[in-house]
Amino acid sequence: MRRRLIAFWFVLPAFLLYTVFAVYPLLSALANSFWRWQGTARAGFAGTDNFTGLFTTFPLDQQLWPAFWHTMAFFAGTMLMQNTVGLLIAVLLAELPVARRFLRTVFTVPYLVGGLVVGYLWSLLLSPVFGPVGAGLDAMGLGALARPWLGDPATALPTVILVNAWHHLGFPILLFGAALAGLPPEYGECARVDGATAWQRFRRVTLPLLLPSIGVISILTFLGSMNTFELVYALSGAQGNQPTGPGGATDVLGLLFYRIAFAEGGTNAIGQSSALAVLLFIATFVVAVTADRFIRSRS
Amino acid sequence: MRTRTGFAVLALVAALASAACTATGSTDDRTTLSLWSWRPEDVAAYEQILDTFHDAHPDIRVEVKAYKSTEYNTILSTGLTRAGGPDVMQLRAYGGLQPLIDAGDLVPLDDRVTGLANFEKSSLDGARGKKDGKVYGVPLEMSTFQIYYDKDVFAKHQIEPPATWEQMLAAARTLQGAGITPFATAGKDTWLLPLYADMFAATRYGGPAFEKKVLAGDVTFTDPAYVAALDVLNQLKSFFPKDMMALGETDVQTLFATGKAAMIPEGSFALAPLKTINPKLNLGVFNAPPPPGAVVTEPLQVGWVDASYGLNATSEHQEEALQLLQWMTTAEFGQQVADTLKQVSLVKGVQPADPLLADMVAAYRAAPTPYLMLVDFRYGTPLGSDLQAAGLQKMLLGQQTAAEVAADIQAGISQWFRP
Repeated sequence: MRRRLIAFWFVLPAFLLYTVFAVYPLLSALANSFWRWQGTARAGFAGTDNFTGLFTTFPLDQQLWPAFWHTMAFFAGTMLMQNTVGLLIAVLLAELPVARRFLRTVFTVPYLVGGLVVGYLWSLLLSPVFGPVGAGLDAMGLGALARPWLGDPATALPTVILVNAWHHLGFPILLFGAALAGLPPEYGECARVDGATAWQRFRRVTLPLLLPSIGVISILTFLGSMNTFELVYALSGAQGNQPTGPGGATDVLGLLFYRIAFAEGGTNAIGQSSALAVLLFIATFVVAVTADRFIRSRS
Repeated sequence: MRTRTGFAVLALVAALASAACTATGSTDDRTTLSLWSWRPEDVAAYEQILDTFHDAHPDIRVEVKAYKSTEYNTILSTGLTRAGGPDVMQLRAYGGLQPLIDAGDLVPLDDRVTGLANFEKSSLDGARGKKDGKVYGVPLEMSTFQIYYDKDVFAKHQIEPPATWEQMLAAARTLQGAGITPFATAGKDTWLLPLYADMFAATRYGGPAFEKKVLAGDVTFTDPAYVAALDVLNQLKSFFPKDMMALGETDVQTLFATGKAAMIPEGSFALAPLKTINPKLNLGVFNAPPPPGAVVTEPLQVGWVDASYGLNATSEHQEEALQLLQWMTTAEFGQQVADTLKQVSLVKGVQPADPLLADMVAAYRAAPTPYLMLVDFRYGTPLGSDLQAAGLQKMLLGQQTAAEVAADIQAGISQWFRP
């Protein structure tokens, strides 16, 4: 009993903090989404109107699905880059006899900088007028390849995805690096004795053992992508009133939420944005939990 | 190490808290009014301006608090509903202040501030409640939108400010032939696009006369004249920077200020930034001549009210706040807005300090046209300006025609707009 009491007092602060700062805001968003709002005042019960409104009101109905697909592409592109380029660099670093820690730090530095800063820096680098990327291509005689990367609907989203992958590359490198260091060397050596080539050793021994790490990275990338905001916001020049990017080419769900909640100044902003937040939360939660279960069952 | 930092932070917080206590708890019997603004860059200027008010009202002390413009709306709408909010605060114009009025956060000023008579009706419209027609703010300043040109570049290529549409296109061709971008326009900062449309083509749809008709429900945005006006930007597209959609406002300001472009459609508010980039700029302004088929045959000056000062309904110092607002209607304050804040004051008879600003205001007084989407179509969501901005970007990218843009604007606005 005494032990229980002590445990209770130890748990209490964390429980209170969690309730006040995590559970309460989530529940209040849920509650807000069922009301119609006039500014900051409730103006009557809305039922599911705020939810259906997202899918049926012009122009939201034309923005929601593109934003969703852009978010999915953002996730898929980033995840692919992290699990290929990130893994490759991590493997190469693990094999490197010298300067391993230094290079790992170098690759990780962008990850330590905020998305707004990274987005702003890249928007400067990629500026067709003043940016060094275009100038560099020109200098190499490849001026024909220079284009307004972020101003062309065809290249804007791929560019944003590449910048995002660059920004977060340090994370898979660190995680894969740790996982590689934790692999028992006997497996690889056995395979080597049996005459396996380096590729076969990687494909048949190392990669299967890295699957849990790939899963973790994919889930975290999914969470990050569903909530992505600041990088795209900064790359598009930090204005949140219309679908972001040329012709809305880089609009994502996080930005759609920002528009509804803050930028448009609609009187029902709280109700409608809460509805989108609830949907986002449910989708993210369900996918993350399912994927986590799946990965655990496989490993 | 971490504990030590923790203690340092705690100590700092404690020190700040006690400092705050002494500041607010100072025992003089003056009433402290809290004034909120979205222009942190103006705080020093406000303190200077308010000295005049403090001299005349020794029993009142005004403290200025400024928040970042992009966060201001959110901070204000929560600040007004709790303790610690402002007494007097800067308000967005037109549709921008309706949510606050709807929520009952503001006090109507019509019978309380007699100085409102010092403003024209069109100025007061910027602070009017759409539903009750009452005035909720003392108008602070206005903006105009026009074409700035680089006098030196024009002189070098023997170009005069154009009086006709043809002359403007001829000038643009000459400049383009010399490797200079005629118009420095930004497509990345989409909020500029509706302003470009009104600046180049309000004459094409008819300016204030069209405004009246569309507000009365006699025409809609799918009217051929309005569609043709939207299409004017398409006709000018070849004179805009080739990478326009990747350029933001500061990019094109730099293009212009460094002589790579000869003209820039910009607001009165851009005068200071342009001069900051290049203090030697020799600037002139003109309004676009009416394009072919224009309904109005003389150039129009686009203008709108930007901001006003309103009174928090929950303020505990209503009487003192009203004294401050009354002072803000005087020529004394208006002149300070012009001289110290370098803005266009709306108090009757006050002249801007800068001759270029004075030109813009004179043009506006002579032949005004509203920034249509901001002035009349931001009273519901989707905002007219957002619909038009998104549509014009698609039009300039070749993804939509002018008629489709007009149809989208109409479809969006008709959700909430009743003539």
